Amino acid sequence: MTILPSSAARPARRADTDVDVVVIGGGVNGVGVARDASQRGLKVALFERNDLAFGASGNSSGMIHGGLRYLTSDPHVTENSCRDSGHIQAIAPHLLFRIPFLVPFENARHGRILYTLADGFFEAYDKYQPLKRGKPHARLSPDELRRLEPGLHGDLVGGFSFDEWGIDGARLCIANAVDAIERGARVYVGHTVERIERREDTGEVVAVRYRDRVTGEGGRLRTSTVVNATGAWSPITASLAGLPASSSRVRPGKGVHVVFDRRLTNYAIMSKTIDGRQIFVEPWENMSVVGTTDDDFYGDLDQVRATSEEVRYLIQGIARVFPQIHEARAIGTFAGVRPTLYAYGPTEDALSREHQVIDHAAHGAPGLYSMIGGKLASFRLFAQEMTDVLARRFDLGARCVTHTTALPGGDRAVDALALSRRLEIDAVAARRLVYRHGSRALRIEERVRERPREAATVCPCEPVIEAEVRYVLRHELARSVADVARRTRLGLGACGGMRCAARCGQIVAQELSLPPRDGMRQAMEFLSRQAMTRAVALGPEQARQEALAIASVRSELGAPADDGMTAAACEDGDRRSTRPAREPEERAWRDRSS
Amino acid sequence: MARSILVIGAGVAGLAAAWSAARRGARVTVISAGVGETALAGGAVDDVPWEQLERAARLLGSDLPAGDLAPAMRQFAAELGLWDVPQATGVRLATVAGRIRPARGRDRALLDLTPLRRTRVLIPRAARAAWDADALAEALTDEPFARARGLRFLPVDAPVLRFDDERRIADGDLAARHDDPARLSWLLERLRQALDGAGGAGAILLGPWLGARAPRAEALAARLGVPVGEALIGAGSPAGLRFEAARDALLAAIGAPRRHGRVRAVGGGHGGPGEPGEGVAVHVEGEDVPLAADAVILAVGGLAGGGIAYAPPERFAGPDLPARGAAPFALSIEAPVTMGDARGAFGVVSSMQGPELDVIAWPRGERPGALEAVGVRCEGVRAAPGILAAGATLAGRARTVLDAVTTGLRAGAEA
Ligand SMILES: Cc1cc2nc3c(=O)[nH]c(=O)nc-3n(C[C@H](O)[C@H](O)[C@H](O)COP(=O)(O)OP(=O)(O)OC[C@H]3O[C@@H](n4cnc5c(N)ncnc54)[C@H](O)[C@@H]3O)c2cc1C
Ligand SMILES: Cc1cc2nc3c(=O)[nH]c(=O)nc-3n(C[C@H](O)[C@H](O)[C@H](O)COP(=O)(O)OP(=O)(O)OC[C@H]3O[C@@H](n4cnc5c(N)ncnc54)[C@H](O)[C@@H]3O)c2cc1C
Repeated sequence: MTILPSSAARPARRADTDVDVVVIGGGVNGVGVARDASQRGLKVALFERNDLAFGASGNSSGMIHGGLRYLTSDPHVTENSCRDSGHIQAIAPHLLFRIPFLVPFENARHGRILYTLADGFFEAYDKYQPLKRGKPHARLSPDELRRLEPGLHGDLVGGFSFDEWGIDGARLCIANAVDAIERGARVYVGHTVERIERREDTGEVVAVRYRDRVTGEGGRLRTSTVVNATGAWSPITASLAGLPASSSRVRPGKGVHVVFDRRLTNYAIMSKTIDGRQIFVEPWENMSVVGTTDDDFYGDLDQVRATSEEVRYLIQGIARVFPQIHEARAIGTFAGVRPTLYAYGPTEDALSREHQVIDHAAHGAPGLYSMIGGKLASFRLFAQEMTDVLARRFDLGARCVTHTTALPGGDRAVDALALSRRLEIDAVAARRLVYRHGSRALRIEERVRERPREAATVCPCEPVIEAEVRYVLRHELARSVADVARRTRLGLGACGGMRCAARCGQIVAQELSLPPRDGMRQAMEFLSRQAMTRAVALGPEQARQEALAIASVRSELGAPADDGMTAAACEDGDRRSTRPAREPEERAWRDRSS
Repeated sequence: MARSILVIGAGVAGLAAAWSAARRGARVTVISAGVGETALAGGAVDDVPWEQLERAARLLGSDLPAGDLAPAMRQFAAELGLWDVPQATGVRLATVAGRIRPARGRDRALLDLTPLRRTRVLIPRAARAAWDADALAEALTDEPFARARGLRFLPVDAPVLRFDDERRIADGDLAARHDDPARLSWLLERLRQALDGAGGAGAILLGPWLGARAPRAEALAARLGVPVGEALIGAGSPAGLRFEAARDALLAAIGAPRRHGRVRAVGGGHGGPGEPGEGVAVHVEGEDVPLAADAVILAVGGLAGGGIAYAPPERFAGPDLPARGAAPFALSIEAPVTMGDARGAFGVVSSMQGPELDVIAWPRGERPGALEAVGVRCEGVRAAPGILAAGATLAGRARTVLDAVTTGLRAGAEA
C-alpha cells in the first residue's frame, strides 16, 4: 500500500531499457518482488550485494508469526498475518514446521490478574488460528506445565500453550529467487548497486550501475524502475540515487540469537529479560535457538555480530525459567538488523502497519520505490502490494498469483524414508534434504543416480551429502563455502565446520572452476568467522572443544585467518614491499630457534 | 634413597618427564586421568607451528630450517620408536584438508612426501565419509610444493575396504584391522593391483587407517616397493592410539608404573628441588590418603588436554551478576601456581562480561589465540617449590609435540 500518490507518468514497457524493473536487495522482500513481478510478466533483474538471505532474512528468529502483537490494537492485521501465514504454508509446505509455545506465568505481583487477562487474549487469537492451521491455546496448571517441560523452574501460577510455525528464512529466500529465475528474472549475487542514475531534468530513474564484488568488474543496466528492498541498508541505498537518507528511513534494530547443539526443550518457552523484554528459547530444526535482542545499530551492516554482553543478557533471561540453559552447549550465535519502520506513519492506516511502500516520486525521483519494514511472515503480502504498484505503473492487468502457485519444491510431498533407502543414505540426512528442497530433493537424487559417489556425507553434523553441495552451487547461486552453509546449514552444527569446511571448499573450487587454493582460503575464512561468532557464547563445556578445534585446524590447514596463503599467492609480486614490515617477526623466529 | 617423582599427566610431556627423571635414577610414578591432547592429535611432530616455519622460510628465501635435535631428544625419540624425526631436515605431510605441510617429524604411519620427485601419488577411492580421493587429489596437486616437485596426485579405484561395515566404522577401528598381518597382506595385494593398474607410481596415500597398536605403513611399503602412508587428519587420528601403545611400552621399559586417577589438589611443597623437605602432597579424587613425593611434575595439558578449565564467574551466578575481575581460567587442579599467557598474568576476564574473547580466543596470523596461550606461569619449568610444569600446561609456549618433549625432558631433569 502506498502512502504517497503514485507519479503521473506510467511508462509502458520501453525499448530503451534493458529490464523493466531492477530490484536491489536479495532478502525476502527483494526476492518476493522479483518472483511476483516475473510471474506477472515483467522483466526483472535483482542485485544482491552479499548473498541471498545475507541480511535480516537469513538471521531472523525463523518464525512465521500470526501477528499476535497486533491483536489488541488492530485485529485486522492479525487476521491478515494469519491468512498469509496460511498462504506460505500452501506454497511451501516443506519449509514449515510447527513450534508449539509455552508461556509460563510467574507468581509475582499481579501474577494472577495478568494470567487471567492473558487467557482472554489467547482466546481471541484462537479465532484466527484456523487460517494458518494452528491449534487453539490451552490453559495449563503449574503441574501440567512441568509435565510438558520438566526443566521449567520457578514459582508459577500457570501458563498457556499456543501455536506458531517455524521456517528457514534462507531457504525461503532461495526458493523465491529460484522461482524468479525460472520465470526469466536475472539474479546477480555478490553484485552491489553503486549508483541509481536519474535524468537531470525530470529526476526519473534511467539506469543502475553495479559492480561484481569478487572480480571488481562493473556494469550498467538501463531501467525505468528501481525497487529498493535493502532492509536496514535502505537509507544508504536511497542515497545512491542522490536522495537524502531520510527519504527511506528505518530504525535499524539489531537482534542476536544464541544457538545450542540440540533441541533442549519440547516447546518453545517464553521468558523475560532483566529489563522485562520478552525472549524465548525455541527448538528450531535440529537445534535450539535463544533470542532475541533489539538495540539500535549504526555500525557496518556487512559485519554484524553478537557481543558477549548480548549473549549474557539473553542467557540470564532464559535461565529464570529454564536454568539448565547454563549446562547446555552453545555452538554459535547469529545476528541481524531489523529494518523497522522508523516511526509510525502519519495516517491512521499506517499506524498499525509493519511495512510500507514509499514512492520516491514525492522526493523528485519517479520510478524509485522503497520497501520498508516487513516480516518473513508477511513477505508475500508485502511483495504483492509492491508488485501491484508496479503493475499499475506498467499497465499490466495480471493479478497476483504468488499465493496459489507453489514455490520450487512445494508442489508435492516426498517420502524421506523411501528416499533414504533409494539413495542408501541416513534417514536423518534424507529427512533434512527433503526439508530443505521439498520435491526438488528428487533432482538431487537424480545426480546421485548418475554419480553414486555423491551420496557421500560432506557435513556429518547437519548432515549434508555431496550431491546437495554441488546442487546448490549449480542451481542456487552459491559462490562460496559460506553461501553453501547458508543454503544447506553445512558447518553450522556442533563441530562448527571443522570436519567439512575444507572438503566443501574443494567442491566449491571444482564446481566454479577456481584454483583449489581459493576453495581452501574460503574454508579458512569460513572457519575463523564461525569461530568469532561462537567465541562470544563460549561456556566451560565448549572451551575445551574450542581449543581442540583450534589445534585441529592448525594441524590440517594452518593457523586460521593466517595470511600465509595470501602471501604465498602474491609472493613474487610484492616481496619487497612486505619484507620490511615482517622483519621483527623474522628476528623473533631466529631467537626462538636458537 | 632415590628421589620420588610424581608425574601428573600421561601425554607426551609427562612421558618425556618420566623418562628423563628415571634416567637420572629417580623413582617415578605417572598418574593420569585419561585422554589428553597427545592422544587426540594426528601424528605430526612439530617443534614450531608449521605456518610459522613456512613463513620464516619464505622470508629468508631459503629452504625450511630444521635445527639439529638435542641428544636427549634424539634418544627419547629412538626409545619411543614411534616417530621418524630426521636429524637435520624436516618432512612433508599431506593433510586430508588438501594441504601439503612441513613438519619436523612424523608418526611412522604417515606418508613423507620429501623424497618424491616428478612422480605420481595414487589415492585409492574409498566410500568413507571423510575421504574424498578426487577432491583431495586435485587440491594436493595444486599445492606449491607438489608443483615445485612435479608431484601429481591421482585418484584410483582400488578396493581398500574389505567389509561393508568399513564404510562407516571409525578410523581407529579400521586402523586396528590392519594390525592383523593377514589383513595387511590383503591390503598389500589390493595396492599392488592398483599400482599395476596405474602403470606404476611413486607412492600411495591412504586415510588414517594403518595400524592402531603400531604404525604398519613401513612394513607395507617394504613389501610393495613404494612408499605407502597415511594422510594427516587434524583430530581423532589412530596416531593417538599408537602413541598410547608406545608410551605404555616405554613406561614399562623404564620401570615407571602408570596409574589411573584424577588429581584434585597439589600442595605442601616446602623445600626446593634438591633440598630436603617434606615433599609434596597430591590429593587424588576418591582417595583419602594423599600421595607424597619429593617433587611433582604437572604435565596435565592445556585447555584442549583438560588440564586447564575455563570457568567464567557468572556461570554460577543467580540473578545478581558477579562483579568484574575474576580470571576465567584455572588449572583443573588446585595448586599454588599462577595462570597467565605469554604476556603475563591473564587479562581476559570472561567471555560474557568483558574483553573481547571473540577477537582473541582464536589465533590470528602471528598471535596465538587466548585459548592456546593460557597456562601455568613458570620460571623456566618451575612453577612453585617442589612443583614443576611441562608441555601444554605451560603458559605461552608453542603447542607442539616437540616443545612438550623439550619441556618434559627439562622438568624431568630438574626435578
Ligand atoms: C533478530 C531478528 C529476528 C527476526 N525474527 C523474525 C521472525 O521470527 N519472524 C518474522 O517474520 N520476521 C522476523 N524478523 C524480521 C525479518 O527478518 C525482516 O523484516 C525481513 O527479513 C526483512 O527482509 P528484507 O528483504 O527487507 O531485508 P534483508 O533481508 O536485510 O535484505 C536486504 C539485502 O539487501 C542487500 N543490499 C544492501 N545494499 C545493497 C546494494 N547496494 N546492492 C545490492 N544489495 C544490497 C543486503 O546484502 C541484504 O541481503 C526478524 C529480524 C531480526 C533482525
Ligand atoms: C587435535 C590436535 C592436533 C594437534 N596437532 C599437532 C600437530 O600437528 N603437531 C604438533 O606438534 N602438535 C600438535 N598438537 C599439539 C600437541 O599434541 C600438544 O601440544 C601436546 O601433545 C601436549 O602434550 P602434553 O603432554 O603437554 O598434554 P596432554 O597430551 O594433553 O596430556 C595431559 C595429560 O594430563 C592428564 N590430566 C589432566 N588433568 C589431570 C588431572 N587432574 N589428574 C590427572 N591427570 C590429568 C590427561 O589425562 C592427559 O593424560 C595437536 C593437538 C591437538 C589436540
